Amino acid sequence: MTSVGLHHFVLLSAVLFSLGIACAIARRNAVAILVGIELMLNAAALNLAAFSRFGALRAEGQLFVLFVIVLAAAEAVVGLALILAIHRRLRSVDVHRADSLKG
Amino acid sequence: MFGNLVSMRLLAPAVVLGAVALFLFLASAFVRRRETGRWLFPGAALIGLAAALVTLLETVRLQYLPDGYNCLLGGCTAFLGMLAYDPLAVFFQALVMLAAVAAVVLTVGSPAVPQARRGEYFGLILAMTVGMCLLVSANHLLMLYVALEAVSLCSYLLTGFDAKARSAEAGLKYALYGGVASAVMLFGLSWWYGLFGSLNLQSLHFCMLGSPALSPGESGAAVVALLFILAGFGFKIAAVPFHQWCPDAYEGAPTPIAALLSVAPKLSGFAVLLRFAFNLLFDPRDPETLAYAPAQLEWALWAIAALSALSMTIGNLAAIPQNNLKRLLAYSSIAHAGYLLMGVVGGSQGGIAAVSLYGAVYLVMNLGAFAVVAAVERATGSEDLLAFHGLAKRSPLLAVCMAVFLLALTGLPPTAGFVGKVYLFASLLKGGGSLPVILAVVGIVNTVISLYFYARVLRAMFLLPPEPGLPERIAPDGAGLLAAALAVLTLALGVFFGPLAMLAEWSAGFVR
Amino acid sequence: MGFELAMVLGFFVVSGLALWALLFVGRFLRLRAPRPEKLTTYECGELPVGPAWFNFNNRFYLVALVFVALDVGVAAAIPLVVILREAAAGSGGWLVFLLLFGFLLLLAVALAYVWKKGDLRWLRDLPAPECAPVDTGRPEPKP
Repeated sequence: MTSVGLHHFVLLSAVLFSLGIACAIARRNAVAILVGIELMLNAAALNLAAFSRFGALRAEGQLFVLFVIVLAAAEAVVGLALILAIHRRLRSVDVHRADSLKG
Repeated sequence: MFGNLVSMRLLAPAVVLGAVALFLFLASAFVRRRETGRWLFPGAALIGLAAALVTLLETVRLQYLPDGYNCLLGGCTAFLGMLAYDPLAVFFQALVMLAAVAAVVLTVGSPAVPQARRGEYFGLILAMTVGMCLLVSANHLLMLYVALEAVSLCSYLLTGFDAKARSAEAGLKYALYGGVASAVMLFGLSWWYGLFGSLNLQSLHFCMLGSPALSPGESGAAVVALLFILAGFGFKIAAVPFHQWCPDAYEGAPTPIAALLSVAPKLSGFAVLLRFAFNLLFDPRDPETLAYAPAQLEWALWAIAALSALSMTIGNLAAIPQNNLKRLLAYSSIAHAGYLLMGVVGGSQGGIAAVSLYGAVYLVMNLGAFAVVAAVERATGSEDLLAFHGLAKRSPLLAVCMAVFLLALTGLPPTAGFVGKVYLFASLLKGGGSLPVILAVVGIVNTVISLYFYARVLRAMFLLPPEPGLPERIAPDGAGLLAAALAVLTLALGVFFGPLAMLAEWSAGFVR
Repeated sequence: MGFELAMVLGFFVVSGLALWALLFVGRFLRLRAPRPEKLTTYECGELPVGPAWFNFNNRFYLVALVFVALDVGVAAAIPLVVILREAAAGSGGWLVFLLLFGFLLLLAVALAYVWKKGDLRWLRDLPAPECAPVDTGRPEPKP
């Protein structure tokens, strides 16, 4: 048995990132795409926290994590606000129905 | 390196802009009378931008005083290394503010944005300008990411600001693409931090080359991280594999915002890309030889060159069948990202000066083209090519202005676009080697392709009869006057380009 | 190394035991009132209406968005608080305090904006769609 080390965190974050990008690409629901983006952001935040815990420079990575959390929330708010706006007009959050712009 | 208190003086322009943005948000909530808002909101925005420009010039003046900070001669960093204050930052901050001024002027008479929401609208433009000011002087990957997000979030909201359904759709598409791109970039940044333990831009080069031998797996991870970070830049400047959002966002956005998005975030993206690429590829310990991109890092240069060639080619080819002027200009702006990337590949001081020069010229001519589109859109309610048929008869002023801008965008001689292109190609070819020559040939072929679709618009304006049902005459308004002024500037800069070229040379001064 | 995981195992065992103990003790303390209403979803006679998967009222989203933005904004103050503790020992404490105060003031401005705009009021008319729904050429999905 081994203790939990850097590799475990990095592996977990890689899995999270892959799941996030798969979700963002494959889903048709705009909210689900936003969830995928949040997964990707959190994967990066996990990476930063793990690297700052196991590396030499501690504060920088942890500070970055705080900023990522705040920015992820801001992005979710902006994304959801736009989804609400489009829902009011199309009565749907399916991105395949939002197809008036083409070319 | 300055501590926090002295740095506040250098940050003054951003602080001014931020304060005015806050004022606008509050005013939009508390001012009841619509008549007051009609002059208060644009007035406050313009005053804020003017004050920011003045304080920016003041920071420049401060540094030439005998006991000044002396930043602009060598470049220095503020806030303990988070922000860089150097000629490049000052030059691009001024460009970004001027673009914001143009966007405010274009909005004033535009039917696009509901009057009741103009307070937030102008506030968001100023907030976005703050983000761009921070972005062009970002000297640390954390600062870079935060500023990039600030710009992006404001631009998503502004894109979706119009009351039309397609505006919300454009905003949503932009936000989803942008979210994925920024998450990918952040993942690359996290790996970069893990591999090298440093986020400072100045240490990029040493990280890549000077760090104690990375294992093959680790150096592979470094390459992937670098490519992820480049993807984030590619999104911001709308270079080709990351450009899909661009035509939709411009078409759906209110026209003044499309004009702003096509120049300001793109140019600030270029400024920070220049800083990034230069810190990465150039060895500061070796100032004599100016060795750009040592052999171990040549692949990165090839990657940027590939982005450049793809952007030019696909942008120009996709523009050919477009019938919506905003979409056409969107593809043209993608192609121009490719041209500007040539300067990054050219590298060295000349390359940076060429990007600064072409950036300024691109700002003038592209804003002008959008101003004409805005004027026509206001008169006819459409930005389709059909609305431009016979424009020469209906509004000779607008038609002539548009012709000047289109010739400049193509890069034909009596205009500033020609001067910009000459500088770009010259800086590219000065380096020598096979890569610059290939890229230059691609660039010239693309200039010819672009002539085709710009000429389509010229033909519609001058040779085709006006569509029936459209207004007979288009009276000149604010947008038309702005277009006329920018057209004069385009021609003037094509002949008297000396001062601008000197400024551009100065802006490249952070390289030594 | 193995010891750390033994701690984890011990934690699982203790938490399982604690759960069981609580339920076991509660069995003797609680009242017994076997009525049919206890078997419904909310255990009090309130009958659930419709399935749980439906579109919530837009008002919930608006309030949630405001909450998330302000709530997480406070997280950005955490590094400042850490410095405040250190700076309070030295001389720079006031400056950091002012910075923190200024930051909270910015959040207060945001709150004032939302309040004044009426987005915190629950009983109000939501703006109707500002333009007719776009005809996408496809039938509307049944709600």
